[in-house]
Amino acid sequence: MSNVPSERPAELVFAIIISVFSVVAFWQAYEISGFSSAHSAGVFPMLAAGTMVLSSFVILCQTARAPVPRHRTVNELRLFFRRVLPLRQLVMLGLMVAYLFSMPWLGFIVSSGIFLLISFSYLWGKSLLVTLSVTAISLASIYFIFRVVFQVVLPQGEWLRGLF
Amino acid sequence: MDVLANFAMSWTDPWLLSLTALGTLAGIYVGAIPGLSVTMATSILISFTFKWPVNEALALIAGVFVGGVYGGSRTAILLNIPGAPSAIATALEGYPMAKRGEAGEAIGLTTVMSVMGGFIGILALALFAPVISDFAILFQSRDYLLLGLIGILLVGTLSGESFAKGVFSGALGVLIGMVGLDPMTAEGRFTFGSITLMGGIPYVAAMIGFFGVAEALVQLHQLDLKAVKQKIDRIIPRFRDIKKYFWLAIRTSGIGTIIGALPGTGGDIAALLAYDHAKRSTKKPEVPFGKGAKEGLVAPETANNAAVGGAFVPMLTLGIPGDAVTAVIIGALFIHGLKPGPLMLVETPHLFWFTVGNLTLANIFLLIFGLTGIKIFTKIVECPKAILIPLIIVLSAVGTYAIQNNPVHIYWMLLFGVMGYFLKVYGFQVGPIILGVILGPMMDTNYRRTIIAARDDIGNFLWNLVSHPITLVLTISLILMILSQTPLKRWIMNYLAKRKEAR
Repeated sequence: MSNVPSERPAELVFAIIISVFSVVAFWQAYEISGFSSAHSAGVFPMLAAGTMVLSSFVILCQTARAPVPRHRTVNELRLFFRRVLPLRQLVMLGLMVAYLFSMPWLGFIVSSGIFLLISFSYLWGKSLLVTLSVTAISLASIYFIFRVVFQVVLPQGEWLRGLF
Repeated sequence: MDVLANFAMSWTDPWLLSLTALGTLAGIYVGAIPGLSVTMATSILISFTFKWPVNEALALIAGVFVGGVYGGSRTAILLNIPGAPSAIATALEGYPMAKRGEAGEAIGLTTVMSVMGGFIGILALALFAPVISDFAILFQSRDYLLLGLIGILLVGTLSGESFAKGVFSGALGVLIGMVGLDPMTAEGRFTFGSITLMGGIPYVAAMIGFFGVAEALVQLHQLDLKAVKQKIDRIIPRFRDIKKYFWLAIRTSGIGTIIGALPGTGGDIAALLAYDHAKRSTKKPEVPFGKGAKEGLVAPETANNAAVGGAFVPMLTLGIPGDAVTAVIIGALFIHGLKPGPLMLVETPHLFWFTVGNLTLANIFLLIFGLTGIKIFTKIVECPKAILIPLIIVLSAVGTYAIQNNPVHIYWMLLFGVMGYFLKVYGFQVGPIILGVILGPMMDTNYRRTIIAARDDIGNFLWNLVSHPITLVLTISLILMILSQTPLKRWIMNYLAKRKEAR
């Protein structure tokens, strides 16, 4: 099921980014062993990166040639933040970054608990009591399933060592 | 006798039996809950089960696969939201039936037909895999190189919105798979002097990032979709119906098996093609198509379940995944130290027959779970996405960490998740990327073996691609695929036409 936004502002910028990325990748692939022989370590990476360069240029041309569907009355950048990266995505991305980077310090249980609590209350908007209990239930079941049943070692916190 | 013992292994061992049952049940929910996908679940499961004995891990994963492909149909019928891409066609006919109050009947018929399709797919696997495997021993490195290319291109062309985007995704995947020390010369590739990068990019982190986190971010766009409740009564289908659609089901199961067996194409495409076949071959449907025709329900559901068995054929015989889920399962087999390929049936035949028996068992459980527990099911499926999405992110984090207890992998996963989100938003598919990551190193090794065998001579190399019968067939199919998708054909035609005029 595809449910991405139908309007794609800044598509051209994205096409330029992937083209630049491909060219850099090709240059890096060339750096591995150059054209020293047909079976050197760098040949296949160069083939892959070369394919990326070619296809990204085709994408770039297709995007540049495609007609702009609407009058450019709305700022492209504003539309980008409305359609591609709206507030909800930005907040969740921020939460995820904070969550994953705090995990080595706080440990899995604490950081996941905080992350789940904040994101449930942000996305769901129920009362604190409901959110708290759902967080507790989910955390307990994740702990039970993974630590007890699957015997997975969960990340422990630097600061709370031995506690969680 | 050995074959039978291995086939029945998961039937007689109570622990394996319950794992298969659990997998199937979980798979039905995973497939049914919009926002959870089978690829997502198997990617995360691999990281939890890699310490288990291989049979137990496979039992669980096979169950999830079989259940998940079916599960999508339930939400398609009840809520008009296909839980999985392979249920898109099912929603076209199933939801109108549910609106008429025939939801139970639709679910019952779907279940029985899915199981039937599943059995036909498995039968094809059991019959044809050994034959193909005997044949595949003749394959040389150059053939594997070509097969890999064809697989990635097929996924790229059939699932994406443009050929260029599919090719880009596939090549990006190959590039990701190249990072690290070169297995042949131990030269660093894209390592920038970093020790972490020398170990390569963990492909499970890439899988979970692309299928878990990226998908969760995309799902945030439709947080507020409200579900519609349906009344469910009669579930056991009428025998009359089964008899009536039997031959259609056989035909669409055949379509499903073949499409599933083609490298790179899976249940979603099989279902759409089968739906199309039913639409064209049914002269006088009781109810017109699009308004709840049972033919349109039977066809995609038999096909996508038959595709499961089909998808295992190239995976177990050639080591080339039939679709995204089998690409992930190949990853699991690698982790367990197995090498899927033509030698797998020779070296580890027990594993092959175990898989066949296991899939059969999962199909039986599908019949049981499919016809029961629908009342509870509707409650669970209504789980709001606001709860689901943060949970997917937490599970992705645990899953990535669990493989090597390395926190760095979590950051890789995050990076791939964000990358995957933007790629998805701009109309790229992440399936070819994963296929590229899995197949890239295999293609690299085979390319270099081929070129070394050709004494480093490009001319010799190209001559090898056309001078052997098997290779020639593969080369021609690759060229035809590229010609049919690019304007190259038009240019050549124009050029020929101009030359004719000039004369």
